[in-house]
Amino acid sequence: MRMSKIVRFSADVLFGAILIFGFYIILHGHLTPGGGFQGGAVVATGAALVIVAYSYEEVLHMIKKAGLMLQESAGLVMFAGVALIALGLGTTFFFNYLANSGLLFGMSVPFGPNPGELNTGGVLPLMNIAVGIEVWGGLAIVILYMLSGISKAEEA
Amino acid sequence: MIETIIHVLVIAGLVVSAILVFHFRDLLAAALASALFSFLISLEFYILQAPDVAISQAAIGAGLTTAIFILAIRSTKRYEEDIP
Amino acid sequence: MRKELSILIIVILGVFLALIAVDLTFGAPDNSAMDDYFIRNGQEQAATNNIVTTVVFDYRGFDTLGESTVLFTAVIGVALMYRKLVKGDADENE
Repeated sequence: MRMSKIVRFSADVLFGAILIFGFYIILHGHLTPGGGFQGGAVVATGAALVIVAYSYEEVLHMIKKAGLMLQESAGLVMFAGVALIALGLGTTFFFNYLANSGLLFGMSVPFGPNPGELNTGGVLPLMNIAVGIEVWGGLAIVILYMLSGISKAEEA
Repeated sequence: MIETIIHVLVIAGLVVSAILVFHFRDLLAAALASALFSFLISLEFYILQAPDVAISQAAIGAGLTTAIFILAIRSTKRYEEDIP
Repeated sequence: MRKELSILIIVILGVFLALIAVDLTFGAPDNSAMDDYFIRNGQEQAATNNIVTTVVFDYRGFDTLGESTVLFTAVIGVALMYRKLVKGDADENE
């Protein structure tokens, strides 16, 4: 079962815009309100729009379940791995070892109100990206599994 | 003063949308009214200066929950029946 | 009789919650030592403008790890629950 042509066309058009907005929220998580969880939920909303608009067989051609599962696991492993590297460097767990270091995301920030710079934050942007990938995969695969359940129930 | 008026309008909209969810016999319309409720709550969070929570509420409450409701309505009946 | 009783309960509950909401103050916490510490040192220690993200991912990073684990476990639970339903799929190799 699929929805009407109007719904499918709107889903196709809106999917790209929602995706770009979600990536913006994830990547600017250390500058503007939002972060990994919020941005990942926005991206998963775009995926849910496509999943609701199309039938189960068409969705399976667009999105792979194993890919989403791998994405979710990779996000959690990346999040824990970034935190574990700090232990290898001889500091505490979750220590922000990249902040003020001059390396990747390593610029300093002056105190008080300032316009902000994308290349700051230390490990925080990496963790935002990791959590964003995880939440995206996790919430999308929940909706996909529910769609697969009802498509089986329709046939019976 | 203007802030209080906006608060009262948003909360009145919350009450109206909650009553609409209860009132509709068409379940798809009820799901959309529930999405309107979530959207108004997210607006209230934004007015109370919590933009992080507002983004979460708009994405999960108004987006994903409504998607799950629509999937459930697609697999069952669209109209509510009278309770015997 | 039942209808009047439920309306009475709703009115009492609504008045109770409204009375609580009248006394609320926003933006002026009683104990603010921790907030002041974060606001004063967050930009210098974590090199981030967004103090909320600094608290969530740096000062309280362990909580966020637990939160991610909860989400992961919930998704694994949903996948296990629906596994029998989707077992007949030909294009799935799980």
